[in-house]
Amino acid sequence: MIIDFVNYAINGALLGLLYALIAMGFVVIYRASKVFNFAQGELVVLGGFLQWWMVVSMGLPMIVGIPLAFVLAGVVGLLIERIFFARLVGESVFAMVMVTIGLLVLLRGVVLVAFGPQVRPFPIVFPLQPLVIGELMIPTNLLWGGVLTVLAAIGLSWFFNRTRTGLTMTAVAEDHQVALSMGISVKRSIAFAWILGCVLSTLGAVVFLSGKSLNFLASEIGFAALPVALLAGLESIGGLLLAGVIVGVIQGLATAYLDPLVGGAVGSVLPFAIMLLILLVRPTGLFGWRTIERV
Amino acid sequence: MLVLNNVEVMYSEVILALKGITLAVQPGTCVAILGGNGAGKSTTLKAVSGTIESEDGEVSGGSITFEGERIDGLDPAEVVRRGLVHVMEGRRVLRHLTAEQNLIVGGHLAPGAAELRRRLDRVFSFIPPLGGLRERTAGYLSGGEQQMLVIGRAMMAVPKIMLIDEPSLGLAPMMVQDVFALLARLKAEGTTLLVVEQNSRVALELADHGYVMENGRVVLEGTADELRRNEDVREFYLGMTAEGERKSYREVKHYRRRKRWLG
Repeated sequence: MIIDFVNYAINGALLGLLYALIAMGFVVIYRASKVFNFAQGELVVLGGFLQWWMVVSMGLPMIVGIPLAFVLAGVVGLLIERIFFARLVGESVFAMVMVTIGLLVLLRGVVLVAFGPQVRPFPIVFPLQPLVIGELMIPTNLLWGGVLTVLAAIGLSWFFNRTRTGLTMTAVAEDHQVALSMGISVKRSIAFAWILGCVLSTLGAVVFLSGKSLNFLASEIGFAALPVALLAGLESIGGLLLAGVIVGVIQGLATAYLDPLVGGAVGSVLPFAIMLLILLVRPTGLFGWRTIERV
Repeated sequence: MLVLNNVEVMYSEVILALKGITLAVQPGTCVAILGGNGAGKSTTLKAVSGTIESEDGEVSGGSITFEGERIDGLDPAEVVRRGLVHVMEGRRVLRHLTAEQNLIVGGHLAPGAAELRRRLDRVFSFIPPLGGLRERTAGYLSGGEQQMLVIGRAMMAVPKIMLIDEPSLGLAPMMVQDVFALLARLKAEGTTLLVVEQNSRVALELADHGYVMENGRVVLEGTADELRRNEDVREFYLGMTAEGERKSYREVKHYRRRKRWLG
């Protein structure tokens, strides 16, 4: 009984860390441009399809195909910035957020035209057998995903808080004009954020889709990651780990214990209930930047 | 060093904000631009630093040269690389970063980590109060501390000329003195300054030369001494009568309504 509980909790936490990895794409773009990217889920799907294209369709070995897919994802990020956002420097953030909604529709269309609506098999990157420790069963892909998420969070936290490039990206997000006046290239900063956002989404796709099937509907993971991003606060990368674990464990336990009682769906709804609650009680999330207003 | 020749600036392709500004800044000096709200002072600085582009403005006529080379139309990043740094109006610190992180952002073009560290040390020794504020979030600093921080941040780029917009804005008189004392030390150290100010009294104490702007034009120029002695400046900007007495605010307003420069 207890072991079941621990199992559900651990699996929930690992799933939560996958959400955190996807949410990291949101946060990186938000930290650098204050733009909330509604097309994050589509970027995951695109990253997934790029890997499918390289490995399954083109038949490249995984060791070549997957890194190549990451490079292509980076190119997509750069193109998105060049085509849509380079012209919007100095414009309102609202305008840019609206562009991401357009991007959502556009990317979905591109994926459908390029790869079709069929369900495709995603390469098996991580072993399908779960890791068995005593009576605990842990899916290998989620375990690896958890490790990658923690590493990515540590790396990105260090990057944004300690390195010059990371700090200049934060400066761009805070104030385009001040960043310009200090000689920071706003366009380059935002381009880098989109490249990073696309690469992280592709990493999320590997963990999420390894050994599963893929079609355009996989973009729902983007919205599933939303509660994690908002609970952490949209600026906090380290906070995503804790928020991911909280949301994941609650979802895992609710699915195991509450769903059978009410006939399902509690597990999927609860994260969004948490999201609404956090928006009411603490709109900046657990670790997000509060508005600083001097009076 | 910095020469603006008949510069015109247009916003959104319709609003002519600067109508032919000509001014020159010699190396090692401080030049003040004085004038009321909407005179075009800040626009002049933004035209020089190139940041006007982000406000849908452009230099539509004339030329801006720095050390003999045209800089109008250059990318703002290139302008900073050439040694001009713009300290914007309103103490625009990066509010969520610490004071030290603000400074690091200012020195982001420094070649190598050792040079960045050296510049940080220089700023902390030049502006000692900042040393105690390293880890403090910039948004929570006092107005005076924020003004010192943005000047320190500009120093991190080791500029040849610093363009400073309204350093006294919204500060207590004591803080204004501290900030201007800091600028005086900066000037003594060899940094050229172009200061935009509404507080003409303190600005003319620091400056060697001054320009008075109104309605997008320079209406008066001269050495700081000449401007301090100029009857119109005394009346309209220093609030004094010809005899050196301070005028009451009501009288100053009365004159302002009637004033007409011979542009």
